[in-house]
Amino acid sequence: MALPATSNVWVVMAAYNEAKVIADVVADVKSTGHGVVVVDDGSRDNTAERAAAAGAIVIRHPINLGQGAALQTALDFALAQGAGFVVTFDADGQHRAADIAALLAALTSRNADFALGSRFLGSAVDMPLQRRLLLTAAVWFTRLTTGLRITDSHNGLRAMTRRGASAIHLRQNRMAHASEILHQIAASDLPYVETPVTIHYSAYSMAKGQTLFDALLIILDLFARRLHR
Amino acid sequence: MIAQLLLTMMLFGILLYATMTYRQAPIIGFLAVASAFGGLVFVWFPSYATRLAELVGIGRGVDLILYTWVVISLIMLLNLHLKLRAQMELITLLARKIAIADTTRTS
Repeated sequence: MALPATSNVWVVMAAYNEAKVIADVVADVKSTGHGVVVVDDGSRDNTAERAAAAGAIVIRHPINLGQGAALQTALDFALAQGAGFVVTFDADGQHRAADIAALLAALTSRNADFALGSRFLGSAVDMPLQRRLLLTAAVWFTRLTTGLRITDSHNGLRAMTRRGASAIHLRQNRMAHASEILHQIAASDLPYVETPVTIHYSAYSMAKGQTLFDALLIILDLFARRLHR
Repeated sequence: MIAQLLLTMMLFGILLYATMTYRQAPIIGFLAVASAFGGLVFVWFPSYATRLAELVGIGRGVDLILYTWVVISLIMLLNLHLKLRAQMELITLLARKIAIADTTRTS
C-alpha cells in the first residue's frame, strides 16, 4: 500500500537543552521529506536556533513545562496546520528516521490510527540490562492498567492518523505522559498496531533517560491525576 | 466546653471546605468530610474516642483526636498539591496558546 504524501505528514519533537544533537536529528528527519516541528521547551541553550537552522519549524515554550506538555503543543500545532498524519520522534538522537516509513506503512496497510514503535520487536542497540528490566516492568504495568497488548510501553517513536492525534489530550506535563498516551489510546477504542523499530543507546541518550526513581514518580503522577478532575 | 466549641467551629470550617472541594476532587472531599465528622463525634463524645483508641491500641482518646487532626491536615495538604497541579494545567494551556500564536505569526 502507498505511503501518505510527505506533505501530509508532520514529524514532531519535544526538545529541552538538546543543542548538541538537535541539528543532526532534524536534518536526518528532514531527509525523509516530511514537515518537522520542534517544540523547544524553555531550553537554556541554543536548541531553538539550531533546530531552526536545520530546517524545522520551532515553537518556543516561554517556560519549561515538560516533555508531555511540549508534545501536546506539537500535536495541536500539527493538527492546526492540517496534518493528516503525525509522527512523534525523540530529539535526543536515539531513533532512526528510516523507521518513520515503516510506521506510516503500518497505519495505512493495517487501517490503524496508531502505530507504536517497539524496540522489543525490532532492536535496541547497546541497551543496558538495568534499562531492559525497567522497561519490561513498565510493559507489564501498562498491560495491567490499560489492557493494551503491547511489547514496548515507553517508546517515543509513534505515528498516528489525524483522527488518532485528535484523540490525544495530554495533561501529564512531565514523564508520565508516555503512560498517559497509552491510556488514552486504550480509552479511544481506535485501532493500534505495533511496528518494529531500532533504538540506539548512547551515553548522551542514557544520561537523559529515566531511572527507577523516575518510574516511581511516574506512578505517583498517574495516581495523583486520578484524584482530581 | 470552650475547647469543644472552638474545635467544633474549626471542624465545621473543614466540612465547609470539604464540600467546596468535592466537585474538583471527590475522593479528597469525601475523606475530609469523613474525617471532620469523625472529629466532631470524638469532640462531643470523648468516651467513644477512648473506647475506639483502646480498640485500635492507641491508648488514650486524646491521642486519637490528635491523630485524627494530623490525618485531616495531611488530606488538606494533598488537596493543596492537587490544586497546584490544576493551576499548572491552566498555566500550560496559556503558555501553549502563546507559543503557538507566536509561531503562527512569525512563520
